[in-house]
Amino acid sequence: MRQRIATMALIWFCAVPAVLQGQELKLFDRTVQFHGFASQGFVHTDGNNWLTMNTNNVGSGEFTDFGLNASAQVTDKFRMGAQVYDRNLGQLGQYHPSLDWAVLDYRFTTWFGMRAGRVKTKLGLFTDTQDLDFLHTFALMPQGVYPLDLRDSNIAHYGGDIYGTINLGQKRGSFSYTGYAGFRDDSIYSGYEYFLQTVHNHTKHYGGLQYGGDLRWNTPVKGLTVGASRLEEDLKGFGIRLGIPVHEWSITPDFTNQFYGEYTRGRWHFDVEAKRYYRHHYVRNGAFDDHLNVHAWYVAGCFRVMKRLEVGSYYSRYTMTSTFFKLFDTSLPSAHDYDKVVSARVDFNRYWNVKVEGHFMDGYAYGPYPNGFYPQQNPTYKPNTNALVLKTGVNF
Amino acid sequence: MKNQTLLPLVAAVVLLGSVQVLAGEVKVIANPSVRSDSITVAELRSVFLEEKRSLSDGSHAEPVLARSGAAHQAFLKQYLGKSEEALENYYRTLVFTGTGLMPKTLPSDTEIIAYVAKTRGAIGYVDVNAAAEGVKVLTIAQTGSKAERHLITRVEPEYPETLQRLQIGGTVRLSVTISPKGAVENVTLLGGNPILAEAAIKAVKQWVYSPGPSRTTIEVTVPFESHR
Repeated sequence: MRQRIATMALIWFCAVPAVLQGQELKLFDRTVQFHGFASQGFVHTDGNNWLTMNTNNVGSGEFTDFGLNASAQVTDKFRMGAQVYDRNLGQLGQYHPSLDWAVLDYRFTTWFGMRAGRVKTKLGLFTDTQDLDFLHTFALMPQGVYPLDLRDSNIAHYGGDIYGTINLGQKRGSFSYTGYAGFRDDSIYSGYEYFLQTVHNHTKHYGGLQYGGDLRWNTPVKGLTVGASRLEEDLKGFGIRLGIPVHEWSITPDFTNQFYGEYTRGRWHFDVEAKRYYRHHYVRNGAFDDHLNVHAWYVAGCFRVMKRLEVGSYYSRYTMTSTFFKLFDTSLPSAHDYDKVVSARVDFNRYWNVKVEGHFMDGYAYGPYPNGFYPQQNPTYKPNTNALVLKTGVNF
Repeated sequence: MKNQTLLPLVAAVVLLGSVQVLAGEVKVIANPSVRSDSITVAELRSVFLEEKRSLSDGSHAEPVLARSGAAHQAFLKQYLGKSEEALENYYRTLVFTGTGLMPKTLPSDTEIIAYVAKTRGAIGYVDVNAAAEGVKVLTIAQTGSKAERHLITRVEPEYPETLQRLQIGGTVRLSVTISPKGAVENVTLLGGNPILAEAAIKAVKQWVYSPGPSRTTIEVTVPFESHR
């Protein structure tokens, strides 16, 4: 039933955008804007099954998401809005809609504003936009840095932000900053919770305190932006394993560091980003501890061939070590995932695009922190996986 | 007889000087509720990138964009430094991350002018030759090195009769040096029709700005609307 409703909603989204063009209505003399998006993908692999879908040999179309938002500028400085999001990605999401963001935003000046509610997290170049398919050339962002299956972990927080842009003049550019604090509350249909089921742990709650910041320099070199982000988390998880309550918690705060740069010149666009994620957790009620260390980076380039056609490519590397899994040698396929990607995007109009993408992956990085290859779909792992991804998306 | 001799000369000068006019020149227009007659490039950029919804003089400000066209391309290049695709993505990022709204976009100069004329705080841009009835044309100034210089006294340039009769208009770009006391010390032509420039320079030299901590050099655009 849920899938039928989602399919009807998707058909509606696909059929209507060119007519809707973003709807507005007047409420108490204020304009309320409505916008939405939807995407549908198909993935075929040889090698391993990917992203909790049965992609090997036949392929899978269990790759759907959509969202709808409403926003209004109440006064010159005060804005409010909310977005609802739903998705199905193989065994994840399963069409359980969630509040993607809901924000009260007061901007005192260009250099200082505050937001509160459920706020998208500024972490790296694309954390807050990773699932907005129409904003990117690629059907799948580099999974080592922006894992689709772990979307819930840091895409948004319940809490508050301060933000602003400080203009340093034409010769020095400007700084944009964001600082935030709040808490994370994962969906039980997310990737980490699905992974824990392999050890019979059915998660009831996973989340905790999050705080961090982002600072980016819009340099005086036209088209060049560089920046850095840091996120710290104090997490707790609770589940039921074989009838017994089981807890997991951070011994020291988890941290994520991301450094990035992007450059646009004419029809060319380049991104480079490096991420490190570290956690030290007690698992199974403190019986074991795990030092997990993740390093990931990518380099991407895109070229707009013509108004409606863009091509792109990226190379990404992801490595993981874990004391609990006794995973120390990153040359092993179980400890890394190196991905070479080529992609083409066609925009039929402002609202509708289609993407074709090839992934050539070395490794499957299976450990206590999933990276797209789950044991439930892969009883035995193959060292390499090639994938064809087809995706279409609409937005209005 | 005098006019018959003058006309070919004027035509030659106009042809030489009008290359920049034909290359998508743009003028910025605003609803009369906007108090200022000028706006700095930095403030214009902040309004169109949705960083602020009011000007430094307290006026409400709402950006209005064209969907396409030469004026649209000229505005993006000259004032926002973004391509059309990059700007579209910028606005979509604001809308779908809850950090802003989609600005109004309209398909023609006529619709933009009509919308700006009736909408409080609306600021848009049109082709320099478009008839701007019911709206005011804003002068664009670069931000001064230490402080913004506000225009206190503005003298309108005398439109050369011959060019007005021939309905030849355009925009003159000037580099203006302002003394700390606010007087215009020096004016240099950056671009535009030479005959219109002569009239513009003569008028701008009489302008008076607010005092500032130091000598400032700014860029000023003076539009000549041929449909007056």
